[in-house]
Amino acid sequence: MIGLNESQAEALSELINIAFGLTAANLSEISGHRVRLDPPTISSHPIDGLADRLAAFEKGELVFVRQGFKGPFSGDAILCVNSEGAVKLSSILIEGPRQSQELDSSGAEILTEIGNMLLSACLGVFGNLLQLHVSISVPELHQGLLRQFLDSLKIADGDLRHAVVIDSSFKISDSGVVGRIAIILSVSSLERLIQAVDKWEGNTICAN
Amino acid sequence: MKAKILIVDDSSMSRRIVRGYLESAGHEVTEASDGVAALNQYTLEKPDIVLLDLVMSGMGGLEVLQKLRETDSHARVIVATADIQNSTRDMATQAGSRGFLNKPIRREELLTAVNSGLEGLNQ
Repeated sequence: MIGLNESQAEALSELINIAFGLTAANLSEISGHRVRLDPPTISSHPIDGLADRLAAFEKGELVFVRQGFKGPFSGDAILCVNSEGAVKLSSILIEGPRQSQELDSSGAEILTEIGNMLLSACLGVFGNLLQLHVSISVPELHQGLLRQFLDSLKIADGDLRHAVVIDSSFKISDSGVVGRIAIILSVSSLERLIQAVDKWEGNTICAN
Repeated sequence: MKAKILIVDDSSMSRRIVRGYLESAGHEVTEASDGVAALNQYTLEKPDIVLLDLVMSGMGGLEVLQKLRETDSHARVIVATADIQNSTRDMATQAGSRGFLNKPIRREELLTAVNSGLEGLNQ
């Protein structure tokens, strides 16, 4: 699994909690509903085994907003909801039920922007706390099965042989929308992230 | 004061929300959905202030900001972005932005930033 000592695991968990917490707060503000966020988990997988692991949670047709990031560490941040949840989430933003049960172009655009706000905020916390700059790419919306989506990530990043997944599920109260936020890194990027987290932890302790 | 404001954002949702906030305060609003259109519209319409997204396909917001400032060194630009990094804010400031707003945009913050950005206009 991941070679983290106890102190590193605690520091990384704290960083992720702050980042995902802000993301949930933004989602709550956007939707006008309370958002419940499960505690984030960190796990490591061969990229070929990732679909099997995540498939335990995500079944059927899904909608993904993917935002790549580059810098001292690189990877993909992903917002994932099922198709029904995607339609509901976009309808919350237009303040009324949508005609179609399918995600139309207007709904897709709304969901892409929601993904942009959430994922950029999450990545921004990493950049701010670690005092590093992360270049965030334009968000992309994908629809399909989880395995197809993960295959597209592999093709886009030939270096991605082994992935570290930092993820958490969220639920928007009273709306029935359930989704997932994930950050996928290569192992080499995780190592650089851990170095930065070590430095952040050291600075934080010194400051206190 | 009431101003002519150009919103530059590739998200129609964001443009719609921001337009609503600005028009409710009496401002005149035009929109551009990408950087190239924004540069053309700036030249044609001479807005008092530009509200500019950073993460856009094609020409990114920072490049748009630099080109606007090359075209008009007095161009008044407020950056509105989901990228909350302090380093991004610094880059926007160095490139000449007069304000920096994080998405989701709040009405009062937007109007305060616009009023601040308009200070000194027509004086």
